[in-house]
Amino acid sequence: MKENLLSVINEARDYLIESAGAAPEAALILGSGLGDLAEEAENKRIVEYKEIPGFPVSTVQGHKGRLIFGTMGGKRVVFMQGRFHFYEGYNMKEVAFPIWVFNSLGVKKLIVTNAAGGINTSFKPGDLMIIKDHINYTGNNPLMGPNLEAFGPRFPDMSAAYSKELTEIIKECAASEDIKLQEGTYIFLTGPSYETPAEIRAFRTLGADAVGMSTVPEVLAANHCGIKTAGISCITNMAAGIMDTPLNHREVMETADRVKESFSRLIKSVIERI
Amino acid sequence: MDLRERIEKSTEFIRENSGFEPEIGIVLGTGLGSLADYIDKVSSIDYADIPEFPVSTVFGHEGRLILGRLEGKRVIAMQGRFHYYEGYSMQEVTIPVRVMKKLGIKLLVASNACGGLNPNFEAGDIMIITDHINFMGTNPLIGPNLEEFGPRFPDMSQVYDKELVELLEKIAASQGIRVHKGVYGAVSGPNYSTKAELSMMIKLGADTVGMSTVPEAIAARHCGLKVAGVSCITDMAIPDTMTAPTHEEIVKVAESVKPRFVSLVKQFIKEVQL
Repeated sequence: MKENLLSVINEARDYLIESAGAAPEAALILGSGLGDLAEEAENKRIVEYKEIPGFPVSTVQGHKGRLIFGTMGGKRVVFMQGRFHFYEGYNMKEVAFPIWVFNSLGVKKLIVTNAAGGINTSFKPGDLMIIKDHINYTGNNPLMGPNLEAFGPRFPDMSAAYSKELTEIIKECAASEDIKLQEGTYIFLTGPSYETPAEIRAFRTLGADAVGMSTVPEVLAANHCGIKTAGISCITNMAAGIMDTPLNHREVMETADRVKESFSRLIKSVIERI
Repeated sequence: MDLRERIEKSTEFIRENSGFEPEIGIVLGTGLGSLADYIDKVSSIDYADIPEFPVSTVFGHEGRLILGRLEGKRVIAMQGRFHYYEGYSMQEVTIPVRVMKKLGIKLLVASNACGGLNPNFEAGDIMIITDHINFMGTNPLIGPNLEEFGPRFPDMSQVYDKELVELLEKIAASQGIRVHKGVYGAVSGPNYSTKAELSMMIKLGADTVGMSTVPEAIAARHCGLKVAGVSCITDMAIPDTMTAPTHEEIVKVAESVKPRFVSLVKQFIKEVQL
């Protein structure tokens, strides 16, 4: 199985090098609402997930599923438009698979974005939160099973999963772009059901500031293979039980849309600086 | 082959090859395998030779059963155990406990290397396990219940036998060994926990954190075995003061605990009443 996974990763890598001349230094995973940012890259080469040998295929209708290679701010970047979620039925290794391929392509830095629910009551919908740490509350992990020794150690450290250096750059960029940034701990749940108010109260007690259904598998895999990682959540709504009104998906989308411009501006200035 | 048959096949093989009926099972954790050197061996069987037994992959674990006499008791010791993070199912992780039950043991002594979360602990200390919290998100008893082993809904209100905890404490006192009592939190791993996760576990009442023992303890209680648990605290994992552990350091500290661990467990085996 170990050799098998590695050979599947290598096959995907070889395909991307041959078909798109891929040699990215940094990777960006674009969460809900941010996908358009990739369109602004120069010298774009687009590869659909379904063309890539071994790549999982996105099942969510209307979600794009493709890699965009290009340059932005003078950096060679790969963007993931559309990611894989555990709740869709993929196993954790499939969710983390793109990260392993990026590692094989030479990626050294990863920025992950997502949409999340606010648990910390000082947050407001539309806030951006830099992820300083996470809690994996899923009972699952992409690193279980035979270890890929070529990528990293059996027991990788996670005491600093979110790079201090990248976090500082993001903070400086936000300050110079006059964008307000929150900071907090992201708790990762499988979903797909949203949390109950009782669960949200429990997670607050446990030290979480925002809740979501993505990001952590990719961050675990990236840290394992030594890719420096940063994460930014867009707080699209307050989590269950905080507001009197029930969650409204239209408002969530509106919030994401409202924030898109400043979020994209932030990410672009970060790419220039890294 | 179903679980019941696997247990049966492994049990028969060990019984025929050793002609020995053990009364105590001992699981030797990372770096603690040398207790087996004190056993007056009747038989030593590599896991790889046992039909339907899983095979250990972790560095530092030896992977064999030692049957023989220790301090006047008939024991079976596991040098090397199976971990969930290696990719085994929880059922496989607990096959050895059920096999040992079938071979005749009445008591399981489980040891491990773990991280300390209680500020009163120090790396190199020994903790007698008084209770556990299962943070693994899964359970070896999920699936059809093996009625001949135990009930569908086994009690876990007293996993670690009170009298055995007292006996261990008494022996430690008489040998001048510093021990603590506390709660073991089990996570899946294989990555070490994030600081946010460690803070969460501290808030929830865990004194140590590790990646083993709990599956075996649950399976042992299910089939009516008495359980005693001994943890070697190989590193401190308090978020504000911790430094990232390495597996090599952990093995090194476990090495320094070994003489005290061996002395404590040997005397315990001698004095324990079955």
